Amino acid sequence: MKKKPVLPEKLKDCLITAGILSVASIICMILRRFSSTDTHVPMLFVLAVLCVSRFTHGYVYGIIASLLAVIGVNYAFTYPYFKFNFTLTGYPLTFLAMLAVSLTVCTMTSRIKAQEIIHLEIETEKMRSNLLRSVSHDIRTPLTSITGNVSAILDNDGKLEKFQIKMLLEDIRREAEWLNRIVENILSITKINSDVAKIRKEQELAEEIASSAVNKFHRRYPDIPVCVSVPDDALLVPMDAVLIEQVLFNLMENAVLHGKTTSHIELRVSVKDNQAVFEVEDDGIGISEDLMLHLFDGTLPIGERGDGSGHNMKIGLSICRSIIEAHSGTIAAENKDEGGSRFYFELPLDSMQYS
Amino acid sequence: MEIRDRIVVIEDDSSILNLLKTLLKANNYDVLVTASGAEALTIVSSHCPDLVILDLGLPDMDGTELLKSLREWSSIPVIVLSARDHEKDKVEALDLGADDYITKPFGTSELLARIRSALRHRRTAIDAGLAMQNGVLHIGSLTIDYNKHRVLKDDRDVGLTQTEFRLVALLGRYAGRVITYDMILREIWGPNLKNDNRILRVNMANIRRKIENHPAEPEFIFTEAGVGYFLREPD
Repeated sequence: MKKKPVLPEKLKDCLITAGILSVASIICMILRRFSSTDTHVPMLFVLAVLCVSRFTHGYVYGIIASLLAVIGVNYAFTYPYFKFNFTLTGYPLTFLAMLAVSLTVCTMTSRIKAQEIIHLEIETEKMRSNLLRSVSHDIRTPLTSITGNVSAILDNDGKLEKFQIKMLLEDIRREAEWLNRIVENILSITKINSDVAKIRKEQELAEEIASSAVNKFHRRYPDIPVCVSVPDDALLVPMDAVLIEQVLFNLMENAVLHGKTTSHIELRVSVKDNQAVFEVEDDGIGISEDLMLHLFDGTLPIGERGDGSGHNMKIGLSICRSIIEAHSGTIAAENKDEGGSRFYFELPLDSMQYS
Repeated sequence: MEIRDRIVVIEDDSSILNLLKTLLKANNYDVLVTASGAEALTIVSSHCPDLVILDLGLPDMDGTELLKSLREWSSIPVIVLSARDHEKDKVEALDLGADDYITKPFGTSELLARIRSALRHRRTAIDAGLAMQNGVLHIGSLTIDYNKHRVLKDDRDVGLTQTEFRLVALLGRYAGRVITYDMILREIWGPNLKNDNRILRVNMANIRRKIENHPAEPEFIFTEAGVGYFLREPD
C-alpha cells in the first residue's frame, strides 16, 4: 500500500489499458466476419473503456482509452474501414455519447476508489488517535503522581517524617516502573506495525519462554506465586520470543492489578489441534460483563473502565492482541465458574516441524 | 589506605552520568567518567581501570565499535548499558566480548550486584578458577565434573550425551553470564550450523529434563528470551 513501486504501477496500468483495448479490437475483428452491421462495435468499446477505468488508477487511463476507442472505432471498425469519416448520419452523436458515458463511468469509479481510500484512512486514523489518547492518558497518570510526590518532598523540607518521605519515594519508583512498562508495550506495537522490522519468528521452547516470563514477573511481584505447567515432551513453537514473553507478562500483571484479590496464578501450556495453547488463570474477582465486550479492542472510552487504579489494562491487552494476531494466533478471555478469570491464546504450530 | 576498584563510566546522558557517579562513589569505587568514545579509549589505556560501564549509544562513536577496539588489547570486564528495544545490540555486544549487560532503566541495587559479579569473575579468572576445584564445579546439588566429562545431580550421574555435556560445560565455564545462542552454536556445532536454533533448543530441552526437577521452573539453566542462556553462579 506504500508508494514504493511507482513505476511498476504505471507500467501495469498501461499494460492493462493496452490489453483491454486489444481484446476489444480482436473481438470486433472476429465479429466482423460473421456480422453485417457495426452496431456492436461502439458497445464493445464502451465496455472496454469501463473495464479500463475500473482496473487502472486515476482518470488518465480511462480518458486515454475512451479517446483511443472513439478514434479507433471511427477509423478501423466502421465503414469506411481505415478512414476517418465524421459525416455519416448519427455517428458523431454516437461517438459523443460514448465519450460522455466513458468519462462519466471513469469519474465515478475513480471517485469510489478515492472514497474507499479515504474511508480506510479515517478508520486507521480513528484507531491511531484512540490509542494515542489512551496512551497519553496512561502516561500522564503516573507522571502526575511522580511530579506530585517529588514536589511534596522538595517543598516540604523538614516538615515530613522520614517514613513519609520513604513512602512517597516508593510510590515514585513504582510509578516510574509502570511508566517504563507502558513504553515497552508501545515499542512492541511499533515493532509489529512498521513495515521494515517484521516480527522474526523462530522455533522456541514453550517452557523457556514461560519460565523467563515468570522470572520477570517474580522480580516485580515477588509475593504472587505462579504455578507453571508445560507438556512433558519439549514443545517448539514458532514465535518472536521477546514479544510472546511480553504477552505472558502483561497477562500475569493484569491478573494481579485487575484481579485485585489474586493470590496465585497458574500458567499452563498445552497442545490442541496443532496449536500451542497458553493459559493464564487467576483466582481474583474476574472480569465484569461490560468490560468483557471491549477487553481487547482498546476502544473503551476513558473514564469508563470502572477500576480507578489509574493503571489501565486496555493498552496492555490490545497490544497482546496485536502481538498474537501478528503471529496468526487468537486470544480470548473468560470468567471461570469457580471464580477468577482465564486468559488464553493459541499460536499455530509448524505441522512440518512438530513431531 | 584501602585499595578501591576503579570504574570507568562511558555515557553521554549527563543525568545518568551524574547518577552513576554519585552511586558508585557512595559505594566506595573510584570513578572516572567520559561522554566521548574516543576519550574513553585513552582513559582506559592510561588508567587501567578494573571495570568499564559502557553505554552503547554514544554521540561520537558506535558503542559496539568501541567495545571491539577495546577487546583487541584488553580483557577488562565490560558491562554494557542498553535500552530494551535493541536486543540485537545486546546480543552483538555479548558476542563481541561484553561481560554483562543491563537494561535501561535499571535499579541501582541491580547495577551494583552486576558490578560486584563482574569484578568477582575477573578475580576468579585471575585465581585460575577458585570456584572450580580440581576441574569440578559445584552449583547447588549440581556438579559438573570436567575431568570425567559428566554431570551429577545429588551425586548421581544424570547421563548426558556428549553434546549435552559440552553444552553444560560451556555454560559452566561462564556461569552467571549470559551466553548468546550464536556463541553456543558456534562453540558446540561449529560455524556452519549458524541460525539453526532448533537443534540447540532440542538439546537444551533434553538437558533440562535430566537435571531440573521441573523443566518449566528451572533451578540451574535460565533463558534470556531473544538473547541466550545462563547457568546459575556457583555457590
